[in-house]
Amino acid sequence: MRDQDTYADLTALFAAEDREHEARPFVDRVMGRIRAQARLRKLLLGATGLGGALLAASQLPKLLADSVGLDASLTTSILQAQENISALASANPLWLGIGAIVMLSLAAVAATERA
Amino acid sequence: MRTDPDLAADAARGSESAFAELVRRHQARVRGMARRLTGTASDGDDIAQATFLTAWQKIGTYAGGTFAAWICTICYREFLQVRRRQRVEIEFDETAEIIPFDRSAADTGDKMDLSRALARLPEAQRICVTLCVAASLSHREAAEATGWPLGTIKSHVTRGVAALRKDLAATQVA
Repeated sequence: MRDQDTYADLTALFAAEDREHEARPFVDRVMGRIRAQARLRKLLLGATGLGGALLAASQLPKLLADSVGLDASLTTSILQAQENISALASANPLWLGIGAIVMLSLAAVAATERA
Repeated sequence: MRTDPDLAADAARGSESAFAELVRRHQARVRGMARRLTGTASDGDDIAQATFLTAWQKIGTYAGGTFAAWICTICYREFLQVRRRQRVEIEFDETAEIIPFDRSAADTGDKMDLSRALARLPEAQRICVTLCVAASLSHREAAEATGWPLGTIKSHVTRGVAALRKDLAATQVA
């Protein structure tokens, strides 16, 4: 005989007491708190992101002004890198597949992350 | 009907509707447990609410098994946190004094005999009876939830159930 069988009658009495609790308002209250927390988190993240973007934007003119004086070799290097990537992808399509998987993984993480 | 582990898996993936279904299924047990542990409906519901909020944050750590035991363990820990904040220590000794609940006579007036009998138990017995008898956890699950030895749980449950029966019988005779 299981331990629980010796007091099954008392368990039934307690369960009858518990069934009197109205579920709907409680569930709504809990889920309301969860949604409010999610909204607050999104708001904080959005505000932080916006602040960062504004800060970055405020530095943009200085960055552009400085870039005028940069060595032209930087532009050459970027162009060369683009050409290399294109050549690599056309020579071996596996790289395109790897790139696609990385993109899909990032999209999946972004989509399934708890708000 | 979908099982608790299925719903928990969906909730872990961010499904609020799956979690709402889990709350609906287990709210009676958790609220009953929290109310019995604290002795008041309002404090109990606050702890029950905190329990489900914690469960939502930690749902990814639910690794199968009885969902009721998992959620009741969270509920018990929430109760302990509240007690710690109130600086009230739980006496684990079997010779523990009865710690009276702080509630008015009007509040207790319409309580069922069962709740009154439970409230008269020493705290350690009340916790064990609440977990094992009222919330239907196995002795082993209650031992894991409380961190108490299995033998201590069994002993408290046996004594608590005997005291409850005696109290209820006396009430019926009167």
